[in-house]
Amino acid sequence: MPNVETPLASETEAAVQRIGEADIVVGIPSYNNAETISHVVRAVSAGLAKYFSGRRAVLINSDGASTDGTPELVSRTIVDFGALLISDRQSPLHKIVTPYHGIPGKGSAFRTIFEIARRLRAKACTVVDSDLRSITPEWIELLLRPVLEEGYDYVAPYYLRHKYDGTITNSIVYPLTRALYGQRIRQPIGGDFGFSGRLTEHYLDQHVWESEVARFGIDIWMTTEAISSGARVCQSFLGAKIHNPKDPTADLSSMLVQVLGAVFALMEEHATTWSKVEGSNPVKLFGFQYEVGVEPIHVNVDRMIANFRQGLADLNMLWKEMLTVETYRGLLPLKDSPTQQFSLPDDLWARLVYDVAAAYHRRVMPRDHLLKAMTPLYLGRTASFVLETGGLTTKEAEQRIEGLCEAFEHRKSYLIERWRSAGSESSP
Amino acid sequence: MSEFWNKAVMEPLTVLGRDILAILPNILAMVIIVTIGLITAWLLGHAVERLLRIIRLDQLSDRLGVTAALARGGVKKNPSYLIGRAAFWMVFLFSALAGLGALNLKPINQFAQSFLAYLPHLFLSAVILVSGYVVSNFISQGVLIAAVNAGFPPARLVANISRWGVQLTAVAMALEQLGIAQHIVVAGFALTFGGVVLAAAIAFGLGAKDLAKDYLEGKLSNRAKARPPEDIRHL
Repeated sequence: MPNVETPLASETEAAVQRIGEADIVVGIPSYNNAETISHVVRAVSAGLAKYFSGRRAVLINSDGASTDGTPELVSRTIVDFGALLISDRQSPLHKIVTPYHGIPGKGSAFRTIFEIARRLRAKACTVVDSDLRSITPEWIELLLRPVLEEGYDYVAPYYLRHKYDGTITNSIVYPLTRALYGQRIRQPIGGDFGFSGRLTEHYLDQHVWESEVARFGIDIWMTTEAISSGARVCQSFLGAKIHNPKDPTADLSSMLVQVLGAVFALMEEHATTWSKVEGSNPVKLFGFQYEVGVEPIHVNVDRMIANFRQGLADLNMLWKEMLTVETYRGLLPLKDSPTQQFSLPDDLWARLVYDVAAAYHRRVMPRDHLLKAMTPLYLGRTASFVLETGGLTTKEAEQRIEGLCEAFEHRKSYLIERWRSAGSESSP
Repeated sequence: MSEFWNKAVMEPLTVLGRDILAILPNILAMVIIVTIGLITAWLLGHAVERLLRIIRLDQLSDRLGVTAALARGGVKKNPSYLIGRAAFWMVFLFSALAGLGALNLKPINQFAQSFLAYLPHLFLSAVILVSGYVVSNFISQGVLIAAVNAGFPPARLVANISRWGVQLTAVAMALEQLGIAQHIVVAGFALTFGGVVLAAAIAFGLGAKDLAKDYLEGKLSNRAKARPPEDIRHL
């Protein structure tokens, strides 16, 4: 594999040379997170001091040109924290504040963090979101210890979330990733990860950094790349994940384009790997599991169903191009069914997602249009899930998700068949 | 009698024979040029078609909706074949014009010159029409998806308007390029476009005044429309 170094800003380069080596690197990519970044930095610093006091640790804040003083807050918080923890001063905690370069976004920030980790020859790294409100010092231990002491290469987060929190993850990304790659990683796009120095090298050597995947799908790329490279993967129970409210006007169809675009692009890259995988295996879960109250979530099912039905009426020509005749016909009874009986079954949904993946591979239409045209379908499935699990606890709803995952695994041969026929159609 | 015969019949025949003998090499040259042109056109047409198949133009056309658009217009052949045929006819046309030029007849030469001068306009207008068609399909598809995702009821109407708008613009540009009734086309386009916008404005004002009122109130007074709360997090 090529070992080409990513260029760093001169100040960052100087800081890296000054520090020389480190055992642990903690990366916090940020952009206008003044509200939460101090809490995150405090939690990270306390975690390093409390659990890894004997190890040389470096904190990297890769900031995307924030205008609200986020990097300054990081610097100030570190100083304040140092003053508070006098007894832990032996822990050599450094900080690098660097504006990341290249294409804007989280992927670019990660690349900078990985490169610094490689140059510092870090044994273990972790990255955490900068908008977290629920992060505690224990998160740092849970994300790093499996790497440092148990020999794992990749630690995925395991959060307790409301049954309607993360519906794209629950209905598409988790079942699909699990069925494809055979590893039951519950939060493949969690945002907070731990990984080994060896895996960092592997990440840096991939030719992905100028692509759409790096721009929008860095989380799922890290998980997929870890599994497909044969790295030892595990999960750590982090409790509830509460982060700053996202922009409520954020466009759902753009989210689907970014997330599913990355998942499907990775499917194309790793087709040889996933087509050989059968079933799935549990992934080791570290950390003490406990029940925790989660924030209630309000869902407007009527609006979702209305959107699905409008899609059925207006996007039917596109859906017929994306889906097989059987899958499309399976949707038709939902046109007039009463709200309480509105149901998009697991098996139909699994086939539908596989059809869309094959259509993406076959390029039946511009990919952006294909993924956006899936929005009403996704809302239909979400409405169906909400109606089905209305009276259930989060734990019971989790069992429904398990059922969906089994449907995805059961139907995998269908995906392989569709994928291969798509490949033969596009051959000359 | 003999003198009359010579003057009335033989002389014109001799002149005609001389003229024919004079033009015969030109006719022969024309036949040769057209024959070579025909063979070249046939070879080039097939080569172009083959090359386009190798670079998968048909698959690209499928993805861009060109094949479906052609099918809707009653054209069942694939784009590689059509472009190959176009290349054939283009080369054959040139060779036919060159062959006719070899006859060295003034009216034919003038016609050939005019035709050759017009050819770029013809080509450009064809490119404009095809591009307009492809772009209009792409835009209307995008508009339709965006409108449905936004829950906008007349999504199809909006998508169709966007499609026809782009196609109308392309036709106006192509006609202008061809030099066909330029002023009428520009005026006609402006009137039609203005009329459509005015009609849409009136229709919206009369038919959807409550919707417009709610929208503007919501925007200007920053009052959220009363609807059930929703804070589902998709990611």
